[in-house]
Amino acid sequence: MSQITLTGIAKAYGTSVAIAPMDLTVADGEFLTLLGPSGCGKTTLMRMIAGITLPDQGAIRINGRDMAALPPEKRNVGLVFQSYALFPHMTVAANVGFGLKMRGIARDAAAERVRAALALVDLEPLAARYPRELSGGQQQRVALARAIVIEPDVLLLDEPLSNLDAKLREHLREDLRNLQQRLRVTAIYVTHDQAEAMALADRIIVMDKGRIVEEGAPVDLYRAPQTRFAAEFLGQTNVVAVTAAGLLPWNTGVAGPADGMVSIRPEDIAVTPALDGAGRVLSLTFLGPAVEYRIDIGGTVLRARDSGTGTAILPQGTQVDLTLRVPPHPLQGVA
Amino acid sequence: MRRLPQGVVAALLVLPSGGYLALFFGLPLLLAFLGSFGLYARGGDGGFTLRHYADLFGTQAYRDGLVFSTYLAIVPTLVSLAISLPLAMGLAQTFPGRKLFNALYKVPLVVPGIVAAFIVMTLFDRGGLAARLLTPIGIDLPKIVRDDWAVGVIIATAWKAVPFMTLIIGGSLGAIQKDIILAARTLGATPLTAFWRIQIPLALPGITAAFLLTFIGGMGAFAVPNLLGPVYPLPLSVHMYVNAFERNNWGLVAAMGTMLSLISVLVLLAYYRTTRSLRTAYGGEVR
Repeated sequence: MSQITLTGIAKAYGTSVAIAPMDLTVADGEFLTLLGPSGCGKTTLMRMIAGITLPDQGAIRINGRDMAALPPEKRNVGLVFQSYALFPHMTVAANVGFGLKMRGIARDAAAERVRAALALVDLEPLAARYPRELSGGQQQRVALARAIVIEPDVLLLDEPLSNLDAKLREHLREDLRNLQQRLRVTAIYVTHDQAEAMALADRIIVMDKGRIVEEGAPVDLYRAPQTRFAAEFLGQTNVVAVTAAGLLPWNTGVAGPADGMVSIRPEDIAVTPALDGAGRVLSLTFLGPAVEYRIDIGGTVLRARDSGTGTAILPQGTQVDLTLRVPPHPLQGVA
Repeated sequence: MRRLPQGVVAALLVLPSGGYLALFFGLPLLLAFLGSFGLYARGGDGGFTLRHYADLFGTQAYRDGLVFSTYLAIVPTLVSLAISLPLAMGLAQTFPGRKLFNALYKVPLVVPGIVAAFIVMTLFDRGGLAARLLTPIGIDLPKIVRDDWAVGVIIATAWKAVPFMTLIIGGSLGAIQKDIILAARTLGATPLTAFWRIQIPLALPGITAAFLLTFIGGMGAFAVPNLLGPVYPLPLSVHMYVNAFERNNWGLVAAMGTMLSLISVLVLLAYYRTTRSLRTAYGGEVR
């Protein structure tokens, strides 16, 4: 059982605020993702949980135990660094076994646990290699094995996949999620990649400028974001104003809250060619599984995405009609 | 055009650097080595002989000199290392006045060794500054200059060597990625354990270089032990000077030089062996 509670935690570097006072609870076994642009405080927040960075105020509790007085070596957290931070002078087995050695685990028992951890990440045959003899993906898996072998109360992952190529990233993402579910370990994952966040997390915390902007399950956060920041950070969207006359570009009576903004995802806009259509294709990008159009309608430019299958690709300058597949989603309190 | 054979091309490419090394390092060393056996020696080629080595090892003063030279290389180097290592660690931290200290500790680097020797002498010799300051408050300074254990030589050598070693070791400690040390901490290592198991092994190339350069300097030191060292034994370097310029016994000088070089090489080999086994022990390599 590993529940993490942060209360009133805050951190500033000089006059710049890294983390504004915030509360956060992570449930046992939960996979939580901290998502935000660089400099939003997500890494600082994680490093405070690990004990590498000390908060200016507030309390961090793991299973109810106050961490304030505990140095990193006493917290029993597993941290996977963006740079992997493997020990270059140690073999893979020694890297993974380091945490067990520090805990005074007997040599035989430790060797067995190292073997099991390496088996978990499919690296058993490489136990005697040095980090410099491994590919990026293999190094990443060693870092992961090294963090989980100590059976941490919480597994912290700081953009662990960002130095890998796209294909490998997707593959390891799946492995990571499976592993976390098998071990039932509480995990906090820091990333600026919204696709990664959605694929991995039980819950996403969207952060900006040291604050929590919004949080929720990936589906809710993507389909029904409350804020413009979250709507735009999780994938692409069109933020469109609503007036008394209706939804702005159409200037028709489409239902919507007056004097507000709505978010319309590009894939929720259907594009159909029509000689007297109100929209015109400005440009298009072929993405393989989809075609993305930039469409001018009444002076507003909207993005629309059409599945690439079976449909003809509309050339630039085509007059089109736009219809919404789902009702536009209102955003709260934004201008 | 006919192409040169590959071996010739390779030899030509190596010639500028290899030739330079052979001409200015290899040849003198070879001549000294041959000279120690009486071959091609300065002052006439008397044919092959072991006389110079017999002379060297048969004379008590020279035997003691050889041991003393080795002592003057090892002890000041170890003392300097013991000071430099924590100093280099300390300088990696932030503290008030760090910038000033960082500049000040390097001052001895630009002071010639002979000047350092005179500084130690004026400070610690009988009737020196330290004695005059301490005697009134009842502290009697032990004999440091020209004493049997060559404490004065050790102080002067360390005074010169500490900034030099600190600079090199600090550089290699600074090159270690910070995340690596933090990773060790989150895995359960105290700062001290992380220092011994992560930082020291990773900084080992720098520590090795600093150690060896200081050691070899101490092996051939002449001015400082001559000024601050005991009357007996004299280091081999001083015997070399006397034999060369006062007795014109160049064969013996060559034998002494060869022995000093040989000991340096042996220490170098021993050191590499130790550090390699350290690396194996730390690295978890199975042999």
